[in-house]
Amino acid sequence: MMLANVFTKTTRDRLPAGVVGAVTVAALLFFSMWVYEGIDTSFYYDLPAGVLELVGINPEGSGAGGIAFGAIYNLIGALVLGGLAISFGASAIAGEEQDGTFGLLLGNPVGRRQVLISKACSVILVVGVMTLLMWGAGVGSAAVLDVPTDDLFIGSMTFALFLNSLFYGFLALAIGSSTGNRGAASGASAGLMVVGYLAATLLPLADLEWLAKFFPWYYYNSSAPINNGLDWSHVAVLGGLSIVAFTVAFVGIARRDLKDKGTNVTILDRLRANPLTSKVMERVAGSARVSRISVKTFSDYQGLFTITAAIMFYMGVLIPPLYNFIPEDFINIFATFPDALVAMIGGVDMGTPTGFLTGEVFSLVGPIAIIVLAATMGSRSLAGEEENRTMDLLMSNPISRSKLVVEKVQAMIAWAFLFGVATFSATWIGVRIGGLEEVGVQGIASISLLLTLFGLVYGGIALIASAATGKRGVATMVATGVALATWFMFSFFPLSETLEPIARLSPFHWYLGSDPLLNGFDWRGAALLAGTFVILVIASIPLFQRRDLRLGKS
Amino acid sequence: MSDLAIRTEGLTKNYGEVEALTDLNLEVKMGEVFGFLGPNGAGKTTAIRTMLDLIRPTAGRATIAGLDSHADSVEIRRHIGYLPSDVSMYTNLTGRDMITYFSNLRGGVDAGLVDELSERLQADLSKKIGDYSSGNRQKIGLILAFMSKPAVIIMDEPSSGLDPLVQREFQTMMREVAAEGRCVFLSSHTLSEVQRAADRVGIIRNGHLVDVEFVDDLRSKAVRRVELQFTGPVDAAAFAAVPGVRDVDVASHHAVMSFDGNMDALLGVATDRYTLVDINTQEADLEEIFLQYYRTDEKSTA
Repeated sequence: MMLANVFTKTTRDRLPAGVVGAVTVAALLFFSMWVYEGIDTSFYYDLPAGVLELVGINPEGSGAGGIAFGAIYNLIGALVLGGLAISFGASAIAGEEQDGTFGLLLGNPVGRRQVLISKACSVILVVGVMTLLMWGAGVGSAAVLDVPTDDLFIGSMTFALFLNSLFYGFLALAIGSSTGNRGAASGASAGLMVVGYLAATLLPLADLEWLAKFFPWYYYNSSAPINNGLDWSHVAVLGGLSIVAFTVAFVGIARRDLKDKGTNVTILDRLRANPLTSKVMERVAGSARVSRISVKTFSDYQGLFTITAAIMFYMGVLIPPLYNFIPEDFINIFATFPDALVAMIGGVDMGTPTGFLTGEVFSLVGPIAIIVLAATMGSRSLAGEEENRTMDLLMSNPISRSKLVVEKVQAMIAWAFLFGVATFSATWIGVRIGGLEEVGVQGIASISLLLTLFGLVYGGIALIASAATGKRGVATMVATGVALATWFMFSFFPLSETLEPIARLSPFHWYLGSDPLLNGFDWRGAALLAGTFVILVIASIPLFQRRDLRLGKS
Repeated sequence: MSDLAIRTEGLTKNYGEVEALTDLNLEVKMGEVFGFLGPNGAGKTTAIRTMLDLIRPTAGRATIAGLDSHADSVEIRRHIGYLPSDVSMYTNLTGRDMITYFSNLRGGVDAGLVDELSERLQADLSKKIGDYSSGNRQKIGLILAFMSKPAVIIMDEPSSGLDPLVQREFQTMMREVAAEGRCVFLSSHTLSEVQRAADRVGIIRNGHLVDVEFVDDLRSKAVRRVELQFTGPVDAAAFAAVPGVRDVDVASHHAVMSFDGNMDALLGVATDRYTLVDINTQEADLEEIFLQYYRTDEKSTA
């Protein structure tokens, strides 16, 4: 039986984020359609099928509509929606546990499973509303821009999107319900989603379609619902997986001890408790960790760094050898890409090892990973302490507000650079394994360093929003919004002659525009990135100094 | 250092239309324990957070230890200890880590004093904050506030969650601070706590300071319940004529009345005309006084 209150409250809590996410993606769709509508897109369809699938576009589609839906909804839209669904699913049970509210909720005459069902229904509803909005925006944009959609199955496509997002949401729900650990639930689900997306698009290129079938993403996109309508066998697989995930949650939630308002046990804590390592760890995890604000902040992000760096490590090591599997004729076709398409995949020649690496590792996954790291740190830096009510106590010490900002930023810079080092090492190893002699150490170092600076810009954006408002949610949304908008500028504006100059204002352009993996370090780009970051940090200080500190989330 | 621990002049804080704190004028001296008394939502926390520069006043100013609360806020924080109400800490740190962290941020904390304080409060420093009960977390908060021997200790609802034994020790600690010429400023909505520890009390309601009194004066001013026992029957009118006497109830040898005047006058009447056998007076506690203030305030605003 469902609990109306729990359902309503959860839905009301989640819906704003869902609507913002859906509307953002819908806006991107509108703009990309608008850009495509103004240019000759026929060149796309001279390309081989596999190439198009790489950028999310179905080869059998037609016109601006097909390309826009492919590039925006199939890829970015699916990642955004999936990501939001994961956060809803992970927070549903594990989130309440870690916030200490689950016990309170269960103090009422309600069963755990009732709560679970209510939460699951809320996830379905919110994801449903998001896809419905995106469906409406898709149909509406095409109508407004007079883009023909006769041969497109927009409804089928958005339904597939719905089902795909729901699966990842339920997966997070299952892990969260069975373990009570929100971080594990969102980390593992997001990991499977990103890895699955890459596997489902890359493996078929290397004639490994059978392997791709082991990843859920394959059942979302490989049948190209936008052009072919729904493939019911694929719908059945995704639907079945969702039901399995829900069943796991249903069984898991009732079979374990609930966690109290919890502390996460980190690796350092385990080592600290172990008698063999306790002496050394007591220094590292204990006294050294709390020596100053920057060090403590740094220490607080071990987990997030480990996850984001691991994704990058996986990409860096695995993608370079994969280049060797791409058939020869494919590579030749890459070389003949028109400029407009080249611009869309990051301005690189996918036929060369450097271009392939840039396109696959550094133009999407790399930015997402480091933005998640830096922007999370930026948004939590000040607003997190306020919302967790620790700011008052912290500020009873003789430290100025400007000093606090600087200390928080130091920790962010440290992790961003370590992320750069991890990226460099992984890619270097991967290039060695793959024997890609064309990719030089200098190029890898250059792009890794630029990626670091690039990430810091978005960390700075989150920081300034955090400093100005004290609201973590606002800061996260601002940083995400700017990231999507600037990615869009960089990826799509070059297609149109009038918009092309504006694309140069995007940090993505400063980071990738010079093709650093091939051409080495771009001092101008680096200066723009570093300069923007410094300005954002400096501007954050007075914004933080002049306002009232918040006490909790109210 | 200034004799005045805390001084506010016309301190006012509005949130949009809502007046959280209106024209607070207060002087708290070194060497005293000052109780800041009011029900939940009266503006106590707003006042404290404004004094500490965590939020900024709409009007007026505050000085702590003679330093301006905004301009010298960092310097001020060298000289204060602060325990926020419903204190939150870093759940992933142990109590010991938390103390080390703040010692590092503060400087000059005597490790011996930390040990002494945790002994006196029976605080367990080994567990993670997230695994503490609220009372144990409160003890860590008290250690943080006291450990640097600050000139002014400001505490917002400090006794919540403490068991009675620890509360008593905490009262002693506050008296010691005052005896050393330092100052304790504590806000509370429980009167018994303030009654035991404070020298003076400021009463706040709806953002307005209603009154500031010495605890002793409050008591002497306060209405007492007086019972007199005589050898023979007495006349109610004789007592009713004494200034301060109200609600006299006489039953033959026995008289009961409410009294807030000079005891000398009452005893004069009682012993001049009759033979007094027994006297029993009950001191009204602050709770009643407090309610009385509120009642009068309500009347005047109504």
